[in-house]
Amino acid sequence: MADLLSGKLVRLTAEEPKTLAEAYSRWSHDSEYWRLETSDCARQFSVWGIQKELEKELEKESENNFFFHIRTLADDRLIGNVGLDGVRWQHGESFVGIGLGEREFWGRGYGTDAMRVILRYAFQELNLRRVSLDVFEYNPRAVRSYEKAGFRHEGYARGYLLREGRRWDLIFMGILRQDWLALPTEDR
Amino acid sequence: MTDNLFRGQLVHLAADEPEVLAKVSSRWAQDSEYFRLLDSEPPILWSEKKHKEWIEKELEKDSSDNFGFMIHKNDDNAVLGFIALFALNWNHGDTLVAIALGERDHWGKGYGTDAMRIMLRYAFQELNLHRVGLLVFEYNPRAIRSYEKAGFQPEGRIRGMMRREGRRWDWLMMGILRSEWLQLQQESG
Repeated sequence: MADLLSGKLVRLTAEEPKTLAEAYSRWSHDSEYWRLETSDCARQFSVWGIQKELEKELEKESENNFFFHIRTLADDRLIGNVGLDGVRWQHGESFVGIGLGEREFWGRGYGTDAMRVILRYAFQELNLRRVSLDVFEYNPRAVRSYEKAGFRHEGYARGYLLREGRRWDLIFMGILRQDWLALPTEDR
Repeated sequence: MTDNLFRGQLVHLAADEPEVLAKVSSRWAQDSEYFRLLDSEPPILWSEKKHKEWIEKELEKDSSDNFGFMIHKNDDNAVLGFIALFALNWNHGDTLVAIALGERDHWGKGYGTDAMRIMLRYAFQELNLHRVGLLVFEYNPRAIRSYEKAGFQPEGRIRGMMRREGRRWDWLMMGILRSEWLQLQQESG
């Protein structure tokens, strides 16, 4: 069987708290990354603080969360994370989250590739029926990447965020198992 | 979006690392003039270890109304001081700010003003607050001038609040409203 956790550009990995603490602290000091990633007010993690949190977090065992890190196939660089966050087994549904902390990999297909890997994992291995996500209106690069991976627009929460003096929508997107199966083979 | 909210012209703000902060704080506290500009408590000297333990305990507390950063110089990344929002009231959109530069040779050169401008942008643009206030001692005209440059207005004084060097001194209250800050951004283009 083909390697479930590798795509064309990236593979999904588990990482040690120490490696992650250095990366997460550095990424959190980039406020643009943060504002694309979360609606929480921009925060900066100390290496000390985030390592403690991660050690607690990574110890937890869960049957509802499948969290991975993203490394490039070419030179094994840690560039981000992706995870199915809150699988609801009875409904065969999960939320997915993704973030690329290393700016130089933005807009070059790495995120789309990682998303394709996690979708294959969701539909082929976990046998889910649906994967959901939300994304901020001011992040068209992400919206385009999700569209390429097969997500469809489903709705939006109007004026969900207040940033830079104006309100922005939260966009809801989703992909059903049959949408995914209908994608060309090379796109999944 | 603002490319990096935490970066100004001279300095940038970064997360408090207990080890780094403990080291500089224990050194700065030896400077009694620094201490008396910062605090009305009598100067107390703590070991670096005690500073570190105290900082770690503070950082472990719930952080939803406490935003503290270290001030680093842009050119060589040296730590010059710290800046923090505290006593933040989300329901009123109001907070207090505190700032201190421990490195004396960097006083009066615009580093503090630059750090304050970053913090105000963060308060008004990211936290969407309505007002930022502060307290400053009457005998610290350098700080008062810096706050004025950053856009703070005098709001009042607490008369004779402290006794030092044989006389009584006022505490000055200053504040800046969101509307005033927006006006400043327009004027500076």
